[in-house]
Amino acid sequence: MRLRGAIRIAATPSATWAQLVAPVSLAGCVPGARDVRQVDDRTFQGTVHAAVGPMDGEFGFTASIEEASFPDTLVVRIEGVDTVTRSRLEAAVRASLSEAPGGTELAYDASVGVHGRLAILGEMVLRATASLMIDSAAACLRRRLEAVDPAVAGPAGGVT
Amino acid sequence: MTAGRREAFDVVVVGGGASGCVVAGRLSEDPSIRVLLIEEGPDPQPLPEVIADPRRQAELVLSSPYVRMYEAERQDGSSLPLLSGRVMGGGSSVNNLAVVRPMACDFETWSAFGGEAWSYAAMLPLMRAIERDDDFADDPIHGDSGPLMLSRGFRLDDPADPPVSALIEAAGALGLPPCPDLNQPAPYGVCASPYAVKDGRRQSSAVAYLDPARGRPNLTVLSDTSAGRVLIDGGRARGVEISDRGGARRVAAGAVVLAAGVYHTPQLLQLSGIGPEEELERLGVPVVVPLGGVGENYRDHAVVYVTFEGTTELREEWVIPKVRLIARSRPDVPVPDLHVFMRPTVRVAGLPPMLPVSLHLLEHRSAGRVRLASADPASLPVVEPALCEHPDDVRALVDGIGLAARLAAQPPLASYYGPMVSPSADDEWEAHVRTTYDTYHHGVGTCRLGREGDPGAVVDPRLRVHGVEGLLVADASVLPTVPHANTNLAAMLVGEVAARVVAGRPLAAVPETPPRP
Repeated sequence: MRLRGAIRIAATPSATWAQLVAPVSLAGCVPGARDVRQVDDRTFQGTVHAAVGPMDGEFGFTASIEEASFPDTLVVRIEGVDTVTRSRLEAAVRASLSEAPGGTELAYDASVGVHGRLAILGEMVLRATASLMIDSAAACLRRRLEAVDPAVAGPAGGVT
Repeated sequence: MTAGRREAFDVVVVGGGASGCVVAGRLSEDPSIRVLLIEEGPDPQPLPEVIADPRRQAELVLSSPYVRMYEAERQDGSSLPLLSGRVMGGGSSVNNLAVVRPMACDFETWSAFGGEAWSYAAMLPLMRAIERDDDFADDPIHGDSGPLMLSRGFRLDDPADPPVSALIEAAGALGLPPCPDLNQPAPYGVCASPYAVKDGRRQSSAVAYLDPARGRPNLTVLSDTSAGRVLIDGGRARGVEISDRGGARRVAAGAVVLAAGVYHTPQLLQLSGIGPEEELERLGVPVVVPLGGVGENYRDHAVVYVTFEGTTELREEWVIPKVRLIARSRPDVPVPDLHVFMRPTVRVAGLPPMLPVSLHLLEHRSAGRVRLASADPASLPVVEPALCEHPDDVRALVDGIGLAARLAAQPPLASYYGPMVSPSADDEWEAHVRTTYDTYHHGVGTCRLGREGDPGAVVDPRLRVHGVEGLLVADASVLPTVPHANTNLAAMLVGEVAARVVAGRPLAAVPETPPRP
């Protein structure tokens, strides 16, 4: 699954970058993440609870910043396993920042792969979840960075 | 009964799936016919609760050992998992238990390949023979004494949970009428869903057909046993090479019935030297009968999800088991081409509830294929499903997304369904269809029927493999097109046909020489 889009934030690229490359800060914008702990200066771990109909379980994940070169290369790799199907999810998220009218445009391009039975639910669950997570994370970043001026916040990015 | 040292049978049935259990159960009703049924998967007794209890169906599919997954790909290279049941009963032991007849128009299509024997009128007695449907006991199109018990957890005149009432009202506002009997010849509208459930327990074909036959001295059942190839000599099937934990051996048979399913039946034929010559030569398998259609013509149902932000949660028992919509993607399509389901809530911590609606396209205009990865019988075949390749299939699903959006916007449903999340109203819906489609897991067609001289035909209208005596195919792979329905009942119907053909029973419904169309 491929997810691409861009979000606009009313803050400078350098301020936005500082939020993105700090694991604790980044983890704080993952909606629903709990038991988050920093492993080192580039890695954090956590869990997210999820349910589909009568099935529910935990998704434990590790997120690592693999590359960070301001302002156009940030690569975050996410790996995790769910407790119900024991399926493995791998995601690589590439992000870049550029100046835009009123602030910064954060462009992202994520590739998500699911290995195991979780793939049976894949498109029903993952795509909508990813779309809402991106919206939620973008709102979180804006809250942290923006002056209260909704006019410059801009639309959330799309999912393709 | 266990297979003894002298292993010779009148009939060997390869594959204990939805149709194989029907064939073995029906044939063994005649004590003079010695039948061997072999199944590659297990035959757990007593039946595990995860199979028997319909409420555990999601767990059954997601985490039990009774489901086999095949890795296929969409056109963009993304992963598309395909499934089969790997347990006695096959798909009927792991499916969602829906009992849905092909529409009358499907039989008319099939009769163009197989003659009048495959018409709705000719097949109706066999469909009645399969079922016992007490809700329509007085209706002449329904059966009242077949092995498969149908039940409905909900009838349209029952009191409905609020979201189900809202769905029925919203669908009515879009012109979809009530359809109490999903198994009428041309169903359309809001349909109460019939299920193969008796006293709260799954009625797989293993339960309905095989269990009553297990004590018969003329029936031998071997599970955890795989077939390597059909033994053919002098243009006639003579038996099967099988293997289990004890190794490989041969069993002799007067007739061999392949019922290993849409993926493995063409694999077995090819491993036996029956298939496209170029493929067999590529694999190093000696050509016995060149049949270009083996493994070709794969058809299935594509599924696309539309997910809305929910204002509340919909529990699974409220929605899925109750009703399905049978709809047209556009008003001018001649046959209803969509199943539409409200799906249960997806909840992820920190996010609003998500309410998917699934759109199941009941047609497949292009055709995929199943080919062998190697000549090793243990290798899974490669499936190229070719779903959503035809522009009309893509268009129908795009139109279906519009239908889902209109449905969710109707006042009674709008109190549950918020804005569209995936795809959003602004997204490119055609791209959403092409890159996210899933499958209904209703593959058919890879050994399709047709008369002699039909270059794509693998079996004749009586299910006998062209060019080989004593070899039949009896599963959904013989169906030329995918029906406008779930395929489990169609597979059982094929099993009923095969049992009658093998037993040599006089069948007006299956004439020896089908008339020309």
